[in-house]
Amino acid sequence: MAGAPQSGTSAVSRAVEPIISLQDIRKSYQQGEFTTHVLQGVTLDIMPGEYVCIMGPSGCGKSTLLNILGGLDQPTSGVYMLGGQDIAQLNDDELSQARCTKLGFIFQSYNLIQQLSVLENIEVPLYYKGMKDSEMRPIAERLAAKVGLSHRMHHKPTELSGGQQQRVAIARALANEPLVILADEATGNLDSKSGNEILDAFDHLNREGKTLVFVTHDERMVERCSRIIRLKDGFVDSDTRTKRALMAA
Amino acid sequence: MPFLSHHPILRLILSPQHLGRSMAMGLKSIWLHRLRSFLTALGVVFGVASVVAMLAIGEGASHEAQEQIRKLGSQNIILQSVKPSDSSGATNETRSMILEYGITTRDIQQIKQTVPGISIVVPSRQIADVAWAGQKKEDSQIIGALPIYPQMRNRTLLQGRFFTDLEIEDRAAVCVLNEALASKLFPLNTPTGKAVRVQRHYYKVIGVIEDESSFSPGDTGKSSASNDSSAQLYIPFSTLMDQYGETFFRYRSGSFEAEKVEFHEAVIRVGDIKEVETRAEAVRHILERNHKKNDWRMVVPVELLRQAERTKQIFSIVLGSIAAISLIVGGIGIMNIMLASVTERTREIGIRRALGARQVDIVLQFLIETVLLSGVGGILGVVLGLGIPVAVSHFAGVTTVIKPWAPILAFSVSVITGIAFGIYPARRAASMNPVEALRHE
Ligand SMILES: Nc1ncnc2c1ncn2[C@@H]1O[C@H](COP(=O)(O)OP(=O)(O)OP(=O)(O)O)[C@@H](O)[C@H]1O
Ligand SMILES: [Mg+2]
Repeated sequence: MAGAPQSGTSAVSRAVEPIISLQDIRKSYQQGEFTTHVLQGVTLDIMPGEYVCIMGPSGCGKSTLLNILGGLDQPTSGVYMLGGQDIAQLNDDELSQARCTKLGFIFQSYNLIQQLSVLENIEVPLYYKGMKDSEMRPIAERLAAKVGLSHRMHHKPTELSGGQQQRVAIARALANEPLVILADEATGNLDSKSGNEILDAFDHLNREGKTLVFVTHDERMVERCSRIIRLKDGFVDSDTRTKRALMAA
Repeated sequence: MPFLSHHPILRLILSPQHLGRSMAMGLKSIWLHRLRSFLTALGVVFGVASVVAMLAIGEGASHEAQEQIRKLGSQNIILQSVKPSDSSGATNETRSMILEYGITTRDIQQIKQTVPGISIVVPSRQIADVAWAGQKKEDSQIIGALPIYPQMRNRTLLQGRFFTDLEIEDRAAVCVLNEALASKLFPLNTPTGKAVRVQRHYYKVIGVIEDESSFSPGDTGKSSASNDSSAQLYIPFSTLMDQYGETFFRYRSGSFEAEKVEFHEAVIRVGDIKEVETRAEAVRHILERNHKKNDWRMVVPVELLRQAERTKQIFSIVLGSIAAISLIVGGIGIMNIMLASVTERTREIGIRRALGARQVDIVLQFLIETVLLSGVGGILGVVLGLGIPVAVSHFAGVTTVIKPWAPILAFSVSVITGIAFGIYPARRAASMNPVEALRHE
């Protein structure tokens, strides 16, 4: 990626502002008489260049947290600052614009648009950013090449393997050069070989300075990431820097 | 502000590229469900086609009616003698009695003297008789008329000429045939110069005049009511008076009938077209005072014209309602399909929202689709709707008039219907919760 601001793997830096800052984030669902408390006060900062892994048992609220981080869902209470901006202050259009330019999503089930070709899928975030057609095409082609799909640019998602589809999703997430990339069990649907390829691609992105937030069950990730946050029943159970982060520091 | 320039509607308007892309996207998804889209558009197609076709046929009918009424002369008031309906009983009881009815010289005199603004009063008389040409014969109306007659009744001479004042004075034995009679008596050759016989008298044919328009109630005094193309033989008014006198005898249902009618018809021309209706009222007063029996009738073409216009208005209202209903039905079809499409594409909507689409982007995406659907349906409907009147005039011989605004109106209404019925599904798509939309299978 061109113009990556951060240098190398020195992920934790005391002087810089956090990209993401959560203050006592709570989320509960009202179902008739019952209230399900999914998140019960999550407080954390994510610094530029960090490679964060969110882990925990099924149903502990990982996806819920990631959806809040992604501006797709609003917390019941608490303050979420993204790039120094209070998300709660944004109206729907501004929030959409923030999703478009500041965040990149990668989903377990790829979530490509079936009618569109590989290039057209990569162009979707650029289109919603308001870019001209002529500007979009070269960017999409460059990103397709970057994820190794130069020979599949005009294929439809159904004509691709799972790993290839997920690579299209990665290219799409990178299109607007977001502040942070959010991935929810990005390798969950893949066999270990293509899963590893995807994880290698993320390592590469992080080395280029991208900030990554990962939700996963995959313990292999422990080796790759710089920080592990374990959730349990809606609380942060543990928040640790990995060997890799400590080594880099 | 970057947000203003990024507003999707502005973007669409300012950049044909984005419009093209959005339309391409809409067309693609319409094409993806070809059959479904086609069936949906069909509702609009038939709605629009019926509006265009019915407008053309309706305009044609009223155009024809107005033309015929205009032929009667919009400045004219036409008075006609009518045989009173209760008189048939009277004649049976008193066979020798002469039945006297209709417009009289006295009526004409009074009208001339008391009603202002009247330029000419042209009376005519008519008798039913048989016209002969060699071995060919035809039941005809023998009409005594004045030279001004064709001009008063807006009727063109197809051949030859009408009578002159001199011929009236001379009580000349000349005649003019109408088209219907000419074609019956002289099917193969030109009638002018030939002779036509009625009873013992021969008349030289000097011209052929076009048939009377169907709005003229024609030969009203007779039981054998004539239709619009009944045979007519015109002879000078004075000649008719000479031949037949003032009383007509006819043999009918085993007994003689005697009738005395001074004028069968009188045409009054009013100088100013705006005064026709008030003058007609004045004439009506005079006749009502003079006549105890209901033995006359007044035809005012201007009033007929106004009635025809009123009829057309009612027709337009009925047509408008049918059009509105059919387009509403078409619109409901579109709405139904779009709601299904929104549900089907919930996941896609979620993805687009996650990638930065605003609500208005989603609204536009679905709205463009409905507008395309109804627009294409509208175009097909206009084509079909223009074809129907052409076919109808070709095969049924009915006049149709296609006003240029009619297809444009029908098309615009179909597009507006698309927008009106597309708004709800589009808004529903846009207001979906992105998280739930993404979870949708
Ligand atoms: N819309 C909702 N209404 C009610 N409860 C919900 C809703 N969404 C999520 N939950 C509940 O919140 C809890 C956390 O869900 P979440 O999807 O965040 O779990 P997770 O940690 O991602 O689990 P997994 O590892 O299985 O993906 C679950 O118990 C779930 O039932
Ligand atoms: Mg989950």
